[in-house]
Amino acid sequence: MGAEHAKLRRERWAIGVVAVLVAALTFFEAHLAAVGGAVTFSSNIVIFALINLNVIFVVLLIFLVTRNVFKILLDRRRNLLGAKLRSRLVLIFICFSLIPTMLLFIAATNITTTSIKSWIGGRVGQALTGAIDIARERLEEEARALSPAAESAAAGLLGTVDPASFPRVLESSRSLAPAGTALLFFEKDAEVARDGEVPPAVRAEVLTRIKAVNGDGDAKGTLIGDEFAAAWRRTPGGVIVVAVRSLPPAEAARIREITKAYDEYHQVRLLDDPIRASYVGILILITLLIVFAASWMGIYLARQITVPVQLLAEGTEEVARGNLDVSLDYRSRDEFGTLVASFNRMTADLKAMKGNLEETNASLTRTYDELRRRTAFIETILDSISTGVIVIDRHGRIAMINKVAERLLRIHTDGAVGRMYREVLREEHYEAIRSLYREAGEAAGGQVERQVELVVGETRIAFRVSLTALRDDAGEYMGLVAAFDDLSQTMRLQRVLAWREVARRIAHDIRNPLTPIQLSTERMQRKYAAVHAEDPVFAECTEAILSEVNTLKHLVDEFTRFARMPVLRVEEGDLPVEIRTVVETYRTSHPGIHWEFRQEGPPRLWFDPVQIRRAVTNLLDNAAAALGERGSVTVTCTHDESAGRARIDVADDGPGIPLGDRGRLFEPYFSRREGGTGLGLAIVSAIANDHGGTVRMRDNTPRGTVFEMEFPAHPPAMEKTGSMAPVIDDGGREI
Amino acid sequence: MPLGVEVRVLIAFFTLTLLGLPPGSSLAGPPVPGISEISGTIRGGEARVRFTLRNAFTPEMVEALKSGIEISFKITVEVERVYRRWFNRPMGQVRYTRSVRYDALSRVYRLHRDDGDELLADVLAALDRMTRFEVVVPVTGGVEKGKPYRARVRARLDKVGLSEPLRSIFFFSSLWDVETDWARGNLQAP
Repeated sequence: MGAEHAKLRRERWAIGVVAVLVAALTFFEAHLAAVGGAVTFSSNIVIFALINLNVIFVVLLIFLVTRNVFKILLDRRRNLLGAKLRSRLVLIFICFSLIPTMLLFIAATNITTTSIKSWIGGRVGQALTGAIDIARERLEEEARALSPAAESAAAGLLGTVDPASFPRVLESSRSLAPAGTALLFFEKDAEVARDGEVPPAVRAEVLTRIKAVNGDGDAKGTLIGDEFAAAWRRTPGGVIVVAVRSLPPAEAARIREITKAYDEYHQVRLLDDPIRASYVGILILITLLIVFAASWMGIYLARQITVPVQLLAEGTEEVARGNLDVSLDYRSRDEFGTLVASFNRMTADLKAMKGNLEETNASLTRTYDELRRRTAFIETILDSISTGVIVIDRHGRIAMINKVAERLLRIHTDGAVGRMYREVLREEHYEAIRSLYREAGEAAGGQVERQVELVVGETRIAFRVSLTALRDDAGEYMGLVAAFDDLSQTMRLQRVLAWREVARRIAHDIRNPLTPIQLSTERMQRKYAAVHAEDPVFAECTEAILSEVNTLKHLVDEFTRFARMPVLRVEEGDLPVEIRTVVETYRTSHPGIHWEFRQEGPPRLWFDPVQIRRAVTNLLDNAAAALGERGSVTVTCTHDESAGRARIDVADDGPGIPLGDRGRLFEPYFSRREGGTGLGLAIVSAIANDHGGTVRMRDNTPRGTVFEMEFPAHPPAMEKTGSMAPVIDDGGREI
Repeated sequence: MPLGVEVRVLIAFFTLTLLGLPPGSSLAGPPVPGISEISGTIRGGEARVRFTLRNAFTPEMVEALKSGIEISFKITVEVERVYRRWFNRPMGQVRYTRSVRYDALSRVYRLHRDDGDELLADVLAALDRMTRFEVVVPVTGGVEKGKPYRARVRARLDKVGLSEPLRSIFFFSSLWDVETDWARGNLQAP
């Protein structure tokens, strides 16, 4: 862009300098020509050099202007920015200069032609011819006036050629000659005598004339020149006598002027056409110079306008493309210069603003990333905790919800965020939160915590719901956080722990008197059996006592086993092999039931094989009891590698479990089976809990029940110690 | 590769210039001026060369002469010894000017030669004197009897004496351009 601008500037300078040089050289050459033919040879060389130089400059000027016009036309064809405006301006300038110039040219040509014609075709020619005729007659009359003197001198020389007589003859003839007349005697083209003074030029001219008349054979005559008049006579002796009189200088000058004007007239008349052509040529040259100068001026002015406009357009395009390093190189004191300077300032300001924006954006991005990281961290925390959390903003829209809440409340979190929590939650859940919200509004600190039973799916689950109103530093309400803790597992565990304590005390309190009772009864049988041999009541009563004691002992043993769950002995093992062993046992003992075992590739895991076999045994025992003689049981062992959890499903196609019993299903001593202790599923739940997992029940499709037991494949505590950390009750005792 | 703007402008410029030039000499024009009838002798220290200038005066030039315009011819005469198998040897050269002008006052044609002026009564006599030449050329070196000698002659219009105002008008142009080729003629040696 800068190079192009510099090139244009150089061209403008070149055109200007060439135009000035052409004008100066033309003036100088015209001045030299006007000096006339008196210039020397060296001056001629200079003149011709100047002429050639001038021609070169004219050609260069025409070339430069033509080139610029041609370039403008090409730019217009290429639809370059500003080309149309530039070509229009140049065209306007050419038209505005061409019209008056052409009018002037036509007028000047006509005036020149008319002037020349009127000069050569009018009375000027007649006047000049008349003038020269008058001058000639005047000279010839003067020459005739000299004839008597010449006649007298010739008569004096008649018959003699003695040079000694020449002075006498001249002296005698002088009286007949007018004043100022000189008498000359020529013999054989040489002056032999003279009387009176004659200018050298006149004398040379007379001599030339005498030479010319010598060959003619005439005897007398007259001679005239533009500054003399003469009469001559040839004597029989061959001497030519000439009486010559020089004209006064003023008269001679007038005659020379007349002669000169006459010659010029005839030359102009002869060279009429070339003169007119020369004038027309000069006028054409001047016209072309004016047109070219106007064209150049148009180009110059157009560039003055279009160059900054084009620069601005290109700069704007660059800015639009995002390049704010644009700085237009254009300096001028006019409005365009101010405009370009303003543009440069604007781009600089934009660049600075962009820098600030980028810096701010980077800062915001960093902040956003930090927020995202924190949010992800919070979401990770929320997803990793067992508490369901729902954050609701001041407008009642859900701002955040974790997957635990989704699982606990059976809602989908994907489309929940941003929606009103009334739309997302079930009516019962919504009412519970709303009720707690009202309580929180009245509570000190805006926090309330309640245990609430909510129906989730088909199960009523106990939740501990904690509701906290969020307020900013100014105390403005921002929303609330609802935390849901599933208490069913905890309550179940508490119940298990309570039952274990009860079982331990019962076992302790009952086992102690049972042995004395059994021993005393047996002693009574041994001692008094013979006494009461005839009385069957004694025997029946003691047998009944012993039978009940055994029953109680069996019950106490069950309680003892439940109360004293052994500490887990975790080791790496093959879970499917352990489960398959149990299934095969039941396949043998219950041939009427179809037992199926499926394995979906769990790797070797860390677990307590004894406890797991016991849990599976209890589940299969329940399934067999539910099915009776016929049915099918499918045991599936799977491993969710992404979640890192192992899962054992025991599905039967039995009658299922009534809805009302499902809430207490895993509670100890709850059983609908005749003769059941109600500890089987409680033990399964305890084992699952001991492995850090859970056990759930759901309906099988199309009928029956599915028990799902899942636990971590690699519990952290196991990995380190190889055994589960002991379960600690609220009192700090190992259970 | 497309031509640049400068190249295209130059091509257009010179094409238009060539188109604007007048037709060349291929077209039929006026009779060509020349030198003829070269003859002469060489003896002693000089060569006397005679020749005739043909077609030197066009009708326009004759009219110009009658109108008082001075017409001048410059003649160049060279004499050389001719060798058949070697370069010719220059022996002498003369540049000779002859002009003629009509004197309207005295109604004579004034012929100007290097050896003096001559007055002629009519234009035919003036033209005759302007086209017939006998020029003496001083030569160097001995003249051998029976050897070939040759004169080379060329003439060109020297100047056209316009009046002062017309000189300024036609300063940049030439009214007529007359120039002959070199003509050769043998000289008689003693």
